[in-house]
Amino acid sequence: MAKTKPKKPGAKTGLLLRLYVAGNAPNSLRAVANATAICEEYLTARYELEVIDLLKHPNRALADGIIVTPTLLRLRPLPVQRVIGNLSDTNQVLLTLAGQ
Amino acid sequence: MNAAPAPHRRGLAQRLSEAQATIEALLSGQIDAVVDSKSATPVLLSRAQDALRQSEEQHRQIVEATTDGIMKVDALEKIVFVNGRLAEMLGYEAQQMIGMDVSTFMSASARASMVNTFARRPVGQDTLDTVLRHKGGTAISVNIAASPLVDGEGQRIGTLGMVRDVTERNKLQSQLMVSDRMASVGTLAAGVAHEINNPLAAVLGNLDYVAEILGGPARGASTSANPGRSDAWLIEEIRGPIGDALEAAARVRLIVRDLKIFSRSPSDEPKSRVNIQAVMESSLRMAWNEIRHRARLVKLYGVVPNVEANEGRLGQVFLNLIVNAAQALPEGHAEQNEIRVSTHVCDGRVVVEVSDTGAGISPEIIGRIFDAFFTTKGVGVGTGLGLAICHRIITDLDGALTVESTVGKGSTFRVVLPIPRPEAIEEAAPAVEPVPSPGRRGRILVVDDEELVLRSVKRLLSKEHDIVAIAKAKAALALCAGGESFDLILCDLMMPDMTGMDLHSELSRVAPEQASRMVFLTGGAFTVKASSFLADQAQEHLDKPFSPTTLRAVVRRHVQ
Ligand SMILES: Nc1ncnc2c1ncn2[C@@H]1O[C@H](COP(=O)(O)OP(=O)(O)O)[C@@H](O)[C@H]1O
Ligand SMILES: [Mg+2]
Repeated sequence: MAKTKPKKPGAKTGLLLRLYVAGNAPNSLRAVANATAICEEYLTARYELEVIDLLKHPNRALADGIIVTPTLLRLRPLPVQRVIGNLSDTNQVLLTLAGQ
Repeated sequence: MNAAPAPHRRGLAQRLSEAQATIEALLSGQIDAVVDSKSATPVLLSRAQDALRQSEEQHRQIVEATTDGIMKVDALEKIVFVNGRLAEMLGYEAQQMIGMDVSTFMSASARASMVNTFARRPVGQDTLDTVLRHKGGTAISVNIAASPLVDGEGQRIGTLGMVRDVTERNKLQSQLMVSDRMASVGTLAAGVAHEINNPLAAVLGNLDYVAEILGGPARGASTSANPGRSDAWLIEEIRGPIGDALEAAARVRLIVRDLKIFSRSPSDEPKSRVNIQAVMESSLRMAWNEIRHRARLVKLYGVVPNVEANEGRLGQVFLNLIVNAAQALPEGHAEQNEIRVSTHVCDGRVVVEVSDTGAGISPEIIGRIFDAFFTTKGVGVGTGLGLAICHRIITDLDGALTVESTVGKGSTFRVVLPIPRPEAIEEAAPAVEPVPSPGRRGRILVVDDEELVLRSVKRLLSKEHDIVAIAKAKAALALCAGGESFDLILCDLMMPDMTGMDLHSELSRVAPEQASRMVFLTGGAFTVKASSFLADQAQEHLDKPFSPTTLRAVVRRHVQ
């Protein structure tokens, strides 16, 4: 799976998201689709969405403290926020992304 | 690469809520993989789950698709699991049966014998033939293969039972027994027919002879062949009884012929041009005892050509239809009910109908009556094979068997058969007795181990021909080998010591001209060898018992 999918490349100030998935597992595929859709539909500001395959990069997952996939991390702005699961609950995803 | 915030920087509350979210996601099946933090390897959940789900699904499918019932009972003999088949067998919903006591559908004695079985064989599998009780109360014969279930310590925790419904199997078995029985009855019948035919030939021949004398030329024209003719009173006195005896003997002959028809094995089924009416009559005679207490018999025979069929098989079809018709009628109201058989030609085909005024067949089952083993009759009455066999026989003849029925009014079964090509149609008319021509006096050798047959043939023919009667084929052979010559050799086919076939082959060597003049007298049962002998050599033969007319016709053909 592609490492990064910068929607608006070069931005260092926008929203930084990182989605951990496990290969082509069903919930992972769903999570990627949901994340992309939510970003395109709701995020007007600049954002960057990085998708990382746990199976290829287990150490990065460990470094990010990932226990299960799919997990979506909001790395910027701080504090780091996490959404766990396949991201089918759009409201919850948006709430977390907007969280302080 | 962005620096990831270390996990420990997150606050406790946040970590708790993340843990909560993780658990929820896990429970709702949204998690694909878990990272084992010790080995740093991800464990794919979804694949494990899928595999589990798949194997579970596979097992479930197997358990549900099997034709056997499956049940799992605990140590207290309460149902823990049943599959759909078992529930269906017993008339419940599978879910209803969970927690049910085995005794609900298994009698105390059956349970006791099952327990005993297991007491003897506490491990492994054992089977038991028993009876289960359907929810509706009916008994179902089953075979249970049960295995004890044990826990890790070898403690008995229950039983797994595979339950097979053997009602069908039992039915099949008794079916096989029936056809076995039919086969042996057939063999027996053929044997009996053979045994009866020899003496019967003598009875008929002698009776015919006596009847001829009694009804012969005007009284007083006394010849050496009719002694006692001077006593007019005596002649009048015995004319009646002799006539009756002749009639009775003729009936015996018909019965024996029927036996022969119905005893043929299906493998040798030569087809020939068959007179439908004659076959129907023979079937009606056989079923007469079934018919007469139940219905009037109406026969409407139209003129129909002979059909190409096996006589025995066609007789079987008619007999089945007639017996079914009779069984559709109650006993004892013969005057109110009717069984009607009819023949006619329609659209270039021969149509034979058997109708009854019986109970009729309801639309729900009429589509199944031609199925093998479908019967609405009780054990011992119906086998459910009759119509199935009829259907097969008729279809084999390129014909059709159909039914029309109205509940409460009656049923009509219709057999439609093709008419054979016109150029091949045989003379349907019964052989007209040819006017006897005086002809020349012939020399005829009769060989038969049955003294009675010898005597009656001699009696019938000796007025017109010179008869040499011999009981042993060896003696006949010696005679011919010695240069004696005959116009005709009437020879029994089956004889002890030397058979007619042996005589034929010997004569073919030593006196071929004589061998060609042999006509065989045949009883009921042929050995395989005998029937192929007759077929191969196109040997002329005469079925015992034969009428004087037939015998004389044969003789006339050879003595020109
Ligand atoms: N003439 C008839 N009238 C009413 N029902 C009939 C008749 N002939 C056949 N049936 C029905 O068709 C079923 C099958 O017939 P058959 O194959 O001959 O088997 P069996 O007579 O042994 O039951 C019978 O059990 C009966 O229900
Ligand atoms: Mg029947």
